[in-house]
Amino acid sequence: MIEIEGLVKRFGAHTAVAGLDLKVAPGEIFGFLGPNGAGKTTTVKMITGLLKPTSGRVRVAGHDVAQDPIAAKRAMGLVPDEPFVYPKLTGAEYLRFVGELYGARLDDMKRRVPELLEMFELGPWGGELLESYSHGMRQKLVLAGILLHEPKVLVLDEPMVGLDPKSGRLVKDIFRTLAQRGTTIFMCTHVLEIAEKLCDRVGIMIEGRMIACGTLAELQARGRGGAGTDLESIFLSLTGGDEYATLLRYL
Amino acid sequence: MLALLAARRARCARNAATALTPYERGRNFAFGLAGFALLYGLYAGFRRVLLYLVGVELIGRLLLWKLTAMMFLMTLSMVMVSSLLTSLTTLFYSYDLKFLMNAPLSLRTVFLDKSLESAFFASWMIALVLAPYVLALARALNLGPVFLAAFVALLPPFLLLAASFGIAFTLILLYLFPSSRTRDVVWVLSSLSMTIAYGLVRFSQPERLIRPDALKVVAEYLNFLQAPTAPYLPSWWAARGLQAAADGRWGDWSADLARLWGAAILVYAGLVWLAGRTYFTGYSGAQEGGLRRRRHAFAPLRESWIFGRIGPLLWKDRVAFFRDVKHWSQMLLIVGLVFVYLFSIQRLPLDSADLRSLVSFLNVGTAGFVIAALGLRFTFPSISLEGRSWWVLKASPLTTAQIMREKFLFSAGPMLLVAFVLGCATNLILDADRFTATLSLGALLAVAAVVCAMGVGLGALFPRFHVENIHQVESSLGGFVYMAACLFYIGATIAVLAWPMQMHFQERFGKAGAWDWRLAAASAAMWLTLNAAAAVIPWTLGLRALENHEL
Repeated sequence: MIEIEGLVKRFGAHTAVAGLDLKVAPGEIFGFLGPNGAGKTTTVKMITGLLKPTSGRVRVAGHDVAQDPIAAKRAMGLVPDEPFVYPKLTGAEYLRFVGELYGARLDDMKRRVPELLEMFELGPWGGELLESYSHGMRQKLVLAGILLHEPKVLVLDEPMVGLDPKSGRLVKDIFRTLAQRGTTIFMCTHVLEIAEKLCDRVGIMIEGRMIACGTLAELQARGRGGAGTDLESIFLSLTGGDEYATLLRYL
Repeated sequence: MLALLAARRARCARNAATALTPYERGRNFAFGLAGFALLYGLYAGFRRVLLYLVGVELIGRLLLWKLTAMMFLMTLSMVMVSSLLTSLTTLFYSYDLKFLMNAPLSLRTVFLDKSLESAFFASWMIALVLAPYVLALARALNLGPVFLAAFVALLPPFLLLAASFGIAFTLILLYLFPSSRTRDVVWVLSSLSMTIAYGLVRFSQPERLIRPDALKVVAEYLNFLQAPTAPYLPSWWAARGLQAAADGRWGDWSADLARLWGAAILVYAGLVWLAGRTYFTGYSGAQEGGLRRRRHAFAPLRESWIFGRIGPLLWKDRVAFFRDVKHWSQMLLIVGLVFVYLFSIQRLPLDSADLRSLVSFLNVGTAGFVIAALGLRFTFPSISLEGRSWWVLKASPLTTAQIMREKFLFSAGPMLLVAFVLGCATNLILDADRFTATLSLGALLAVAAVVCAMGVGLGALFPRFHVENIHQVESSLGGFVYMAACLFYIGATIAVLAWPMQMHFQERFGKAGAWDWRLAAASAAMWLTLNAAAAVIPWTLGLRALENHEL
């Protein structure tokens, strides 16, 4: 459903993504991990057509993002790292607007918008301007927006940031259900526990390169701790995070 | 601490300059040159006027200094109104305020830092227009660099004092009414005050005062010329100081310089003291959003029915426009501007029908300029105003061309309406003949449409999604390029259409065979080519740039 071939992005002399190859299958939840500045958000932006790759190709639901961006975008839903939304629209109007952009039917929106607002506990806020929403509320609204047009692929950049525990649990359940129905989910996250429990496969990126990719069992086999090691330990061993113990002495 | 905050600004500016790509450097250089050419044009115009004035016998110098005092007064009032809007966003809604308020900085330091930023943004562009005037003044009076240095010394305290008005007003208002609704009230008040002030100045017919025949006796006229222009305002101190420098009266110049700097230091010291007691209350209140529930009916969108895929975007822009007081309140200004414009046309001392028809034709230029200025406020920033929500459109299944077409349509309707009202009303007031009326109205409608296309195209070429207020978009390099391009296009329109107008007037004056149809056809072809080029070139450049714009 997502096919990435030889993806490269350079900003001047800096290479943010250095030749990424990846396939994410239909119904798979793929966790994309890495330290800050590893190139995760740049990758997300290239998948969703917000950034042009320096070289390489991305196909989403069979559509080349560079050659056929409209079809690719219609098949996708994006939750960016910062949920900026129109401050002068209400929650219900934002969902209506997004639904209209993606061609959702009016009858479906009439039914689905109040449902989605209720589901994310935004019902009482649906008529308020978005300028009065908190960060978490805007995050939930953006999540509701991508569910409205039922995309085949979800691309999520830190979707859990700002969510309260109850909403976090709800979102995880939604992702699982959608994946069971065949939706592909590509998710960047720093919350390793979520990646561990939710993702079918995990990729770890450092300095623009994918240094490890596979199921948890496969990563455990590659790590120093062996079977039974948690993802945090694997992540730290692969990314050189063990040094943090040395660093802590300086504090 | 203030020095540290100033250093971070300097560092940011330096980093931004060094991070430019060679293409961006080249582009900025090219457009900088265009801007310089525009300033030179202003300088040439001012020099012509001032050289004429200085040549008037007996009262030449009096006229010149009266005009200078009026220029300073106008600058003062423009900076004052501009600071009202700028200080509101800078002092209470800047992105970095959360960081600064959290930092171990005194409230007064934060206030002073933000006040100086506000004063800078409110005044730099207006001051830039004052520079060619003073250069022309130096040229007209044969004065050298010492005079210019004297002006440079007078300018900062003058601008700081002008900007302090808006800073003080918003500081006190937000303290008394600490709510985000106050922001809306300030926007409406500032638009209204600008409209009323502009109307009052114009309806008082100041042109009578520079026409000696309009006053009863010569003595009255001389008294007017010699009298101070608003003696208690810093604009008069600056103008008087400049005159003293021109006359070589350095003692008087020093006195005015000291008065300006002293007043500026005193006013800002007072403001800083006041801020210690009031700023936080206002800041805290401004962050609180007012709640007012709205019910969405899920009715079919009229815009989608008419415009298809871009309908939802038109609907979103319409809803957001009429909810955002800083946008809709500007319509008050437009109404005021149209009335004042028509009043000015009506007051023109035109005795003959030929002269009235000629003015009706030249109206394409002046009304075109008004439309271009409206475009700078409404059309040019339309892409940038998507702001940080731009990702919603960029990630959606809409092409960049569709988004630009929507921005064009959203602006074109009102702009064509203003052009139509200005064109028809002017022709009616002037009783222009049918040929001139048709030509000027047609040309004006074309100007409105093309200026819209230029606004969207250049707005896409210079998008600024991360600005704090619309003035930063208007006063950016792109805004400058847009205005320069509009002025060039409107000037070229007048030049191209002057041929058929000339033949028409020759016919009116009874010249047989006045019409050379080949020349008329060439003029029509050039006019069409000019319009096509003026619309298509910025549009294409903007489309390409926006498609490649990286978030």
